[in-house]
Amino acid sequence: MKGSTLAMNKNKFVYTALLAIAFVATFSACKDKRSTGLEYARNMYDPIAYNPDQPNKNFKDGKTAQLPPAHTKPVGFTEYDEYPNTKEGYEAAGVSMVNPLPVDTLNLADGKHLFTVFCNPCHGDKGDGQGHLVKIEKFSGVPSYHEGSSSRGGAMADLTAGKIYHTITYGVNNMGSHASQISPTDRWKVVMYVQQLQKGQ
Amino acid sequence: MRDISMILKSVWKSLFLFSAISVIAVSTVSAQDAKEGRTLFKAKCSSCHALDSKLIGPALTGVNDRHPEAFLLKWIPNSQGLVASGDPAAVKLFNENGKIAMTSFPELDEAKVKSILAYIKEGEPKPAAGAPGAVDANTTAKDGVSGLSIVGIVAIVLIAIVILVILGRASKLLERLILQKQGIEIEEDVPLKVGVRKMFKNKKFVMFFILCLIICLGSFGWMGMWNTGVHTGYQPVQPIKFSHELHAGINQIDCQYCHSGAFKSKNASIPSLNVCMNCHKAVQARDKYDGQISPEIKKIYNALGYDPETQKYDESKSKPMEWVRVHNLPDFAYFNHSQHVVVAEDAIRKAKGLQPTEPVCFACHGPVNTMEEIYQYSPLTMKWCINCHKETDISGQKNNAFYAKVIEAHEKIKKGEKITPALLGGLECGKCHY
Repeated sequence: MKGSTLAMNKNKFVYTALLAIAFVATFSACKDKRSTGLEYARNMYDPIAYNPDQPNKNFKDGKTAQLPPAHTKPVGFTEYDEYPNTKEGYEAAGVSMVNPLPVDTLNLADGKHLFTVFCNPCHGDKGDGQGHLVKIEKFSGVPSYHEGSSSRGGAMADLTAGKIYHTITYGVNNMGSHASQISPTDRWKVVMYVQQLQKGQ
Repeated sequence: MRDISMILKSVWKSLFLFSAISVIAVSTVSAQDAKEGRTLFKAKCSSCHALDSKLIGPALTGVNDRHPEAFLLKWIPNSQGLVASGDPAAVKLFNENGKIAMTSFPELDEAKVKSILAYIKEGEPKPAAGAPGAVDANTTAKDGVSGLSIVGIVAIVLIAIVILVILGRASKLLERLILQKQGIEIEEDVPLKVGVRKMFKNKKFVMFFILCLIICLGSFGWMGMWNTGVHTGYQPVQPIKFSHELHAGINQIDCQYCHSGAFKSKNASIPSLNVCMNCHKAVQARDKYDGQISPEIKKIYNALGYDPETQKYDESKSKPMEWVRVHNLPDFAYFNHSQHVVVAEDAIRKAKGLQPTEPVCFACHGPVNTMEEIYQYSPLTMKWCINCHKETDISGQKNNAFYAKVIEAHEKIKKGEKITPALLGGLECGKCHY
């Protein structure tokens, strides 16, 4: 009699232990996705120096990312203020700016990659203005590189390198400025690739 | 007499038929015109004009009433020519709209301009019955029903349990009453407090209870310790309901378009709002909000101090957007995005088995193109880093400039040539100051 109760207790014990573990596992699984959970030494995660995208109470506008002080410029920063964002600046850039990079396969390959990332969604991989966003009717009125006329005069196929560079830098009509996303050298690579597409290739 | 009425009837009939057919024909012609006009409008006009809101140029709904058709037929193909010729209406229109020259469209002949005007007159075609809108209504109704039925089932089960408990009590009471009537002595129920006290005097039970407690606390503790500081699945509420599913999934915009830093620097960079405005100056999702600007897109405008009516920025009203950081490595761990996605792209793709169509970012960030709200996919623990660095095969990286430099340095060392830390990248600022 006694033996049997003990055996039963053993069974019960194992079952209850298993149940307890299942209970714990279930409860620890439903964790709050809005919280980071338990953390130890949070201050090791937070930087001592300010990250550029952090709030910063030392500045009046509360941002860490500040513009450089007046009359200074960062090392390696190419200024582009001789051709302002006006019709005259656009025309002047079209006449006097030339692509400083040699046309070679490496630059064209880079240009193609950058074009695919930054231009393709609207302009399409052939530069015909039929990108994915145009096809699904999210965006419209995108001109073709090799057909039609530019909104600032002249045929699209005849736009010079300087004009294309100016357009990438400042944007035009519904196209925004891409200067913050594409560095000056990369912009010239894109210009090189766009000029290939102008030929309708 | 009868013949005459018959003839009259047939004449009426044919007249009716004829008029009906002609009405149908005319309406299909105008519908076709408007359809063609819509395509032309989207291709030629919509980079500067919208129907109901001002973009670069004025809103075009009602343009047919504002100007005579003859004027529009001349204006649209060559507005600048018309202004130059001194046409008073054209000069007035040019001056009223900020003297922004409208593109010339010599390729648009009279028929094409007319079809564009037909489209502007009719407006955007309304979705027909049974179109997406109606379907949506149906599915929401269905969802409502299924939600209700679940609540109903739960309620029924709860009520059944309550009834069972009451019935059980009642039957017990009745049984006891019957026994009492028969004069049989029954043991009184032991009060709960006494029972519990008695149970805790039972050594076997106490040991059993303590063991359970230890197992529970032990496993809670074990799991808690392993998950401390691991943020997998962390999905904070962001200030704008930005959907990666929509932007990266449906719209297929490359990750780099917004996170352009990932391929150039340590940081993948959260885009500043000017990047949003590259598209959202024009994309306002008005069709989903009864002609109003989407409230989420409006948050971008408010943060920038941008007025969509005048299209002007007021910097005094702008305030930074405070996104909540999802992926946060401890400050003592150095991670460089460009090192991984540019130098090691091929190796990572191979190791994680990514499809060529998938961006290399998916290796660690998971299927971002299906995340309506972004969450942390990988644990970002040291073990996770180390395991990947142990398993990833980086052999055969012949065209990789990074490994070419490593091999070059090794060759120099082999030959016994002079080599300095500077040659091995020892002068990089980040080697010491990170």
